[in-house]
Amino acid sequence: MALKALDIYKLLPKKNCKECGDPTCLTFAMKLAGGKADVDLCPYLEDEAKSILGATTRPPIRLVKIGVGERSFAVGEEFVLYRHDKTFYHPPGILFKVSDTLTPEEICAATIRVRDEIFTRIGSDLRFNGIAIANASGSPEVFARAVATVEENADLPLVLMTEKTEALNAALVQVGSYQPLIHAATTENFREMCAVAKKHNCPMVIKAHGIDNLAALAKDCQSEGVKKLVMDICPQSLGDYIATATAIRQLAITRAVPDLGYPVFLDAGCLCFQDAAIALGIVKYASVIITPPLNQASSKAALTLRQNIYTDPQKPIQMNPGLYRVGTPGKDAPVLVTVNFSLTFFTLQGYLESSRVPCFMLIIDTEGLSVLTAVAAGKFNETLVRDSVKKFDAENEVSHKILIIPGYAAPLSGRIEEATGWKVMVGPRDAAEIGEYLHEVWSKSTTVL
Amino acid sequence: MGHNLTFGWSGKIGRITLGATRAEGGTRKKSYSIGGGTTLPFLESDPSSAAPLVALEICDDPEYWSPIVKNYCGNLVENTASWAQTAEKIYGADLIRLYLTSTRQRNFSDIASLGKTIESVLRSTELPLIIEGSNEPRIDSEVFQMCGETAQGERILLGTAEADRYRSIAAAALAYNHSVIAQSPIDVNLAKQLNILLREIGLPRDHIVIDPYTGALGYGFEYSFSAMERIRFSALKGDADLSMPMISSAIDSLAIKEVREAEPSLQDSMAVQWEFYTGMAAAVAGAEIICVRHPKTVIMLKNAFESIRNGAGFQEVKQDGTQGA
Ligand code: B12
Ligand code: SF4
Repeated sequence: MALKALDIYKLLPKKNCKECGDPTCLTFAMKLAGGKADVDLCPYLEDEAKSILGATTRPPIRLVKIGVGERSFAVGEEFVLYRHDKTFYHPPGILFKVSDTLTPEEICAATIRVRDEIFTRIGSDLRFNGIAIANASGSPEVFARAVATVEENADLPLVLMTEKTEALNAALVQVGSYQPLIHAATTENFREMCAVAKKHNCPMVIKAHGIDNLAALAKDCQSEGVKKLVMDICPQSLGDYIATATAIRQLAITRAVPDLGYPVFLDAGCLCFQDAAIALGIVKYASVIITPPLNQASSKAALTLRQNIYTDPQKPIQMNPGLYRVGTPGKDAPVLVTVNFSLTFFTLQGYLESSRVPCFMLIIDTEGLSVLTAVAAGKFNETLVRDSVKKFDAENEVSHKILIIPGYAAPLSGRIEEATGWKVMVGPRDAAEIGEYLHEVWSKSTTVL
Repeated sequence: MGHNLTFGWSGKIGRITLGATRAEGGTRKKSYSIGGGTTLPFLESDPSSAAPLVALEICDDPEYWSPIVKNYCGNLVENTASWAQTAEKIYGADLIRLYLTSTRQRNFSDIASLGKTIESVLRSTELPLIIEGSNEPRIDSEVFQMCGETAQGERILLGTAEADRYRSIAAAALAYNHSVIAQSPIDVNLAKQLNILLREIGLPRDHIVIDPYTGALGYGFEYSFSAMERIRFSALKGDADLSMPMISSAIDSLAIKEVREAEPSLQDSMAVQWEFYTGMAAAVAGAEIICVRHPKTVIMLKNAFESIRNGAGFQEVKQDGTQGA
């Protein structure tokens, strides 16, 4: 049952010391009431107050941060079962898994890929998130060496995969202060694992099959003092994964079983269905996905699916309307009209840049709709174009009065000419043809002018 | 585990039959019954619930087809009947979706040739068919009539009805007992409206498949995914006008920048993965017929769906991280 902000406030130390990150105890209480903060952020809270507040105030799925520094990422703190109910907040980290039996060169190669590869889509840099190292050799020394190899090459979030504290400790000598995710505590080893996790303040994966077992293990680890938990549901099949992950998400967000309120871990490393597992993990609630290094095609598809599922379904990613420059356009440079849907903007901008024709992009406010959608919805219209030309002062930027509109907006060309007094040229439908169009059609049209 | 994953829903996805065997009055070697679901995809406790079907899309005039497929298939695309046969025998498709792209030629009027094409495809494969008629309103009526008549008895799925263009296709479906794909642009309410229109002119619910329009991955898929989820919910909550099975075809996949501009050596795998990730996600969102164009995507999707349903697939990962037997 949720507590009201004032009831919570009564339980807080009222020091207003700001250590929780909030300006006052009251604002912190308000966040707790909204399920937006964790009681642990206040260092002065009495144990009794903590246990009262405990699971009723923290987000239904706990936020867990993995790694330190620029590439660290946080997962959990999700509130819904379906993205259209609100949105999904924290995209799953996808990490490449290497075995410590690989050669240093191989380990290095995977590490460098994660460190350097960037796939830029719609202005965002899509990347893999870190490296998981498995102690396949069974030897603590070999494991520690493999971890060191990764560490020497990159500051990336890590998953240390061993159930032996000896190997774990050997690795943590290298990376103990970087908050690697430890994988994994089981019903057999959880006491020793918890001790290690506590000592280094590391997040830890618990591993068990079946939701009852997971909940029990989570509870045990909590009482050992480890709260930053992630759950490996050890799926026996892809079908088992979907069913279990869905059940956990449902029980967690409704707070029916607060002990299941932790992010989910998925090892997609099954050889034949790796891509299927990754796709399922992305759409169905995985927060940390590990996989053998992916080839280029799978990489791009997986990262794009993740980007799609984790965009807010209520608001398309938008650009600010305005007059944008590509290169350093002069007074005679072309002006291309387009919409403020960021996918459209970046697609067109990419082709314009490679055309090497300096130009202006006049971005009109279609409320984030693509060209075709905006035209169909009546959001791309002559009044909007006229107002935008004025507002962004296109007249003073160029010495001509010609607008190039997208091919899909062709039916509007007459009306735009009338409303703006500018001559309208209809560009190609596909932005890929814009370079050719500027070189051939535009350049000819200006010599005539 | 035993956790109840029915979420207290009372509705059910309607069933629809695709294809007709000899016993059912057609010539197909099998017919499919899709739908029947009572919860989210892949959470069905009923082990007999069907896996999503995978359809390979082919066409009768490859001029309008992706160069990636043409490169991969070579001369095959010049012969629609062999293409269909290969789709069944080699590529392993569950269904064939034939696009009559020849109708896109300027001033196309050779309606009789379409009948011949359909006949030859029906002879060369025993799989149930989806046939996409024209997308030129002027010839719709004749084209759909020809499709319906030629495939009489085969219970094909005819495409594609849209809000402003559904009468001739519905008429052909009604006259020859076929089903219809009803497409609306990524919106629950629009999907519902179109279904009501179709029902009002006499098409029964069990002759409609919803196509909520699938935007390509990275190019609208985020909307399509949620539209499909919402349609599935509405059905499970009891809305009979949205309770038809869904079809998903991310047609643009092979034309988007990432695929089209991939290095030649990577183009096939890029196309396949793009279709595969989209198909997986669409199936999880509720689509029961997944259409693809690259032959290699077919078997990947089929294996994955089969493995989700019957529990195979995940190899035991041993403690040390190696793959167990
Ligand atoms: C995703 C999507 C949506 C999303 C919105 C996404 C968004 N932010 O716009 C949602 C679900 C909300 C949606 C809604 C609707 N949609 Co819609 N949607 C799509 C979909 C699948 C993809 C759009 C997209 O993202 N394209 C990618 C971007 C990059 O394309 P683009 O903006 O056109 O840019 C390209 C070119 O135009 C060109 N270009 C861009 N700028 C410029 C500038 C110049 C100068 C030049 C030369 C070129 C150029 O370059 C780009 C790359 O080539 C399309 C189908 C499709 N494949 O296009 C349907 C589609 C556009 N939608 C359609 C419709 C009808 C609608 C609705 C009107 C339905 C309705 N009645 O409610 C609504 C309207 C929304 C509203 N608010 O009222 C129809 C349009 C039919 C038509 N031909 O007119 C389409 C084609 C689907 C269909 N076949 O039915 N839609
Ligand atoms: S840390 Fe605790 S005592 Fe300090 S302001 Fe926050 S809630 Fe109040």
